[in-house]
Amino acid sequence: MPRIVREAVLTWEGTLARGAGSMTAGTSGAFTALPFSLPTRIGNAEGRTSPEELLAAAHGACFVMSLANELSTRDAPADDLRVRVAITMDEVEGKGHQIVGSSLAVTANGDRAEGAVLAEAIAAADEGCPFSTLLRAAGASIEITTTEGAS
Amino acid sequence: MATDRTAKVTWAGSLLEGGGTIEQVSSGTLGGLPVTWASRAETPEGRTSPEELIAAAWAACFSMALSHGLAQAGAPPASLQTTVTVTFQPGVGIVKGAIAVVGSVPGLDAAGFAESAEVAKSGCPVSKALAGVPEVTLEATLS
Repeated sequence: MPRIVREAVLTWEGTLARGAGSMTAGTSGAFTALPFSLPTRIGNAEGRTSPEELLAAAHGACFVMSLANELSTRDAPADDLRVRVAITMDEVEGKGHQIVGSSLAVTANGDRAEGAVLAEAIAAADEGCPFSTLLRAAGASIEITTTEGAS
Repeated sequence: MATDRTAKVTWAGSLLEGGGTIEQVSSGTLGGLPVTWASRAETPEGRTSPEELIAAAWAACFSMALSHGLAQAGAPPASLQTTVTVTFQPGVGIVKGAIAVVGSVPGLDAAGFAESAEVAKSGCPVSKALAGVPEVTLEATLS
């Protein structure tokens, strides 16, 4: 398979505490000039995104694609998958700020896969999502909960 | 104090023929962003992807860490422009990250800038989370 390249372009002005930045999706242009800052990264978001929020979106998109693939191979393609991801950053003694966990809540509404098949597909999806692998290798915990909705 | 940030993503259909949406993030900044396998692995056609979001997260984290390091070294930046390129190989994973930063930093020479950039590259929380990426390059230049 060919290598796939994706790029983002960011600017920053000033110090960490008082400065501010702006980010743009360099390859797709799907988002442009999103503001970010330190106070809104570690405190109240106040309508500004942050590295950790983008990682949550990245992990969600990576995982949901991996799960869609696992369900297809089990002859039960996704009907209405919903994934909510929370990324947690915390100060770890002696190591500074770290991404310590990613928590995924999966809801499969009326999907054909259920019970053991769904659980197996979710475990395989986690294994197949490259971002899950990286987070785990870095010592972050990954928790996955599942809700089977009514069909 | 721990900080949580969340995102909601939906999907319907198979990987190759179906599609998904990044519906919402906790800040409300992003929403309704479509994602598909074809736009992730081939031509983006205006759609973002996990790797592009990781590139943005990484560049933001790196820029903040670098501004902090420069200020601590007595040379706060006037501006930094950071481009991060993430390379993904299906079946293998994220195989490369390339960080390129151009800084306007009054009173600092190229060697001092390169040194601070190297510290930010290894120390920012996103870099640490991505420590398993086999190749990470850094190009730091002063404007």
